[in-house]
Amino acid sequence: MSLEELAFLVLALVAVATAVLALFVRELVHTILWIGVFFVDLAAIYFLIDAPFLGVLQLGVYAGAVTILLLFGIMVTRKRIFSREAITGIGALPTALAVAMFVFLALVVGEFPGSEQPVAAYSVTDLSRALFSTFGVYLLLLGLVMLGALAGAIYLVREGRE
Amino acid sequence: MTSLSIVGFVGLSTALLAISTFGILTRRNFILLLISIEIGMNAAILDFLYFAAFPTGSHYFDGLQGQSIAIVLIGLAATEVAVGLAIVLALNRLKGSINVAEASSLRE
Repeated sequence: MSLEELAFLVLALVAVATAVLALFVRELVHTILWIGVFFVDLAAIYFLIDAPFLGVLQLGVYAGAVTILLLFGIMVTRKRIFSREAITGIGALPTALAVAMFVFLALVVGEFPGSEQPVAAYSVTDLSRALFSTFGVYLLLLGLVMLGALAGAIYLVREGRE
Repeated sequence: MTSLSIVGFVGLSTALLAISTFGILTRRNFILLLISIEIGMNAAILDFLYFAAFPTGSHYFDGLQGQSIAIVLIGLAATEVAVGLAIVLALNRLKGSINVAEASSLRE
């Protein structure tokens, strides 16, 4: 087992553990803290598979902005920040559905050819050139979606709405 | 240059997707729902990045296209959280709670 495989194994275990913990701790603020660890951990995985720009984006957008936005959401909707959530029962049906989906997808994954080919690294220069020429339409579409979504968000939270 | 096996990566994203599904199905707090959706989005982004990293590209897109799609997905996830937060604020103002079980006025 090479050092990279070991690193990936540890990072993957931390990712799954923090995702589970985030959904199962009782304090909502602790949930946000665990999900922050989860985002940073995934950024480390992105660095590991030679996608450094995406790692930086993950750190900035997810670990930075999304975490703070979620904390803000808790802050403005609660009288006391630290108050425990009521336990939501772990229903048999949702658990069975989640497990069944995991088993099904894992079986499908087993059908893939187990490849050991080296992973290609792409420089940030190549990525930005492609993003602003070949795949420019993606950026335009993203901009349009963001514009519409933010207009909708402002409409939802404005004062004096019925 | 790394040589990590496909089973580990797709297995990780599959596990994250299962956790996300479980959260969406069971949790009643709107913020926990948003967090579950974010976990699922991250699973998708991880898959796109891994398949983008094959030297020949995957069957459907080459590496730069996969990373471009991942960037768009990150932007979409951030937008979704912004809209979700607006819904949280509106829900809190209307119902005084962010429990999605109470947001059923469209259900008769």
